[in-house]
Amino acid sequence: MKIIGISAIWCSSCLIMKKVWTKAKQKYPNLEWVEYDLDFDPEATSYQVEDKLPVLILEQNGLEQSRLVGEKTIEEVFVWLSQNIKENY
Amino acid sequence: MAKSKYKGKLLKLFFGFLIVFGLLFPTTSKALEKVKLYLFYSNSCPHCAAEKEYLNSIKSKYLNLEIEMLEVTENPENSDLLGQVKKVLGTENNYVPYTVIGEIGLTGYNENIAGQIEHFIEKYSYEESVDVVKAIQNGEPIFEGENVQEKKEEEKVPITVPFLGEINPKQVSLPLLATLLGFIDGFNPCAMWVLLFLISMLIGMKDRKKMWILGLTFLITSALIYLLFMVSWLKIAISITSIMWIQKLIAVIALVAGIWNLYSFLKAKEAGCTVVKEAKRKETLSRIKKITSEKKFVFAFFGVIALAVSVNLVELACSAGLPLIFTQVLALNHLTNMEYALYIFLYILFFLIDDLCIFFMAMITMKVTGISNKYAKYSHLIGGLMMLLIGILLFLKPEWLMLEFL
Repeated sequence: MKIIGISAIWCSSCLIMKKVWTKAKQKYPNLEWVEYDLDFDPEATSYQVEDKLPVLILEQNGLEQSRLVGEKTIEEVFVWLSQNIKENY
Repeated sequence: MAKSKYKGKLLKLFFGFLIVFGLLFPTTSKALEKVKLYLFYSNSCPHCAAEKEYLNSIKSKYLNLEIEMLEVTENPENSDLLGQVKKVLGTENNYVPYTVIGEIGLTGYNENIAGQIEHFIEKYSYEESVDVVKAIQNGEPIFEGENVQEKKEEEKVPITVPFLGEINPKQVSLPLLATLLGFIDGFNPCAMWVLLFLISMLIGMKDRKKMWILGLTFLITSALIYLLFMVSWLKIAISITSIMWIQKLIAVIALVAGIWNLYSFLKAKEAGCTVVKEAKRKETLSRIKKITSEKKFVFAFFGVIALAVSVNLVELACSAGLPLIFTQVLALNHLTNMEYALYIFLYILFFLIDDLCIFFMAMITMKVTGISNKYAKYSHLIGGLMMLLIGILLFLKPEWLMLEFL
């Protein structure tokens, strides 16, 4: 299972969410976590980011299971992670 | 892709043209009302001499001003007249100098009084007023002392506001409006992403002096673009503010901008950063990269100015409602140039305050700190409601925007 975080250096919400992501990594150390910058990493374009950043995408065997769009609280991220990880483990 | 690039260019052209047109717009002021100022003085009074000198110095500034000086110690009839005028205007002292403009009597002379004199000269240049002194001289019936006192009390209609208690709307409204609208306008994300990207790239330069100069240049140029836009619209608005259909047009713009802001608030799903169209983003990013990697610092300097100009011309479209409406309210109030400058400066200061905070924090910590976007959508709500209110007032009660409440 892999988590992909897409952000941009010009996005203030992303700067705030980076702190939340760091805590999420500590809580789920076994998860593979990859981060892409929308402008500097070509891989980011393959995830069809629409008009809002940041985006968290949960992938299982290369297939997207769920995505969390926009600026969220740490609780919202943890709830999203716990729901999706339980379903897909 | 071509459509949005074309739209961007059109916006820049439109606002660029509006600024140039506004600045070149002749300040043809409407036929100004003749203003009569009476100075009751005494030959032995030093303050009187100072005021006389001051009044002579402003004659050339106010061509519609006529000054009559009345010496009271050696001319009993002037002294009687002074007594009657003070009684009617409800002034209970017998000091000189005593300055009368319309129904306003000002005792003594200092910098503050000088400011008030100019304020009332400007005010009565646009509005009729009762020439109390002339009325007394001609023996015409005018309202008794108490009525004037009552009127003065009325003008100072204090409004009781929860928590703040009694406030006088005149002294509070314009600075409050400038601060609030400026702050809300500043929350607008249109140019924030460019600033954040610029700061990130500046930090990468690892040259503090250049970072400070380029960063401040971007912010100051942004302020100047806003200043130019607001000053040029102010010049136009002052000259045409009395033309009713123009006022109604501005009211429509305010209503439309208000509704658009409320729609943006309701439409705003989750908080976060709006991703600008890829082509535009790439173009801006490459410009910034070019600036920050420029060998010759002078090219980087002018590059950042050009960037700030073009970004803020588009930003004006993003928030054109707010500065336009604020400037219109200023124009309705017939203020002195100093007061116009103060309120526009206050607006721009609060417009830039979040950008300034982000920039200084980044320069000190050498890290970019973001401001949560969770509350950005509420700027659409508050801004929208305020514009709707101003739009409705422009239609129904424009005098309320002249903060007269009478």
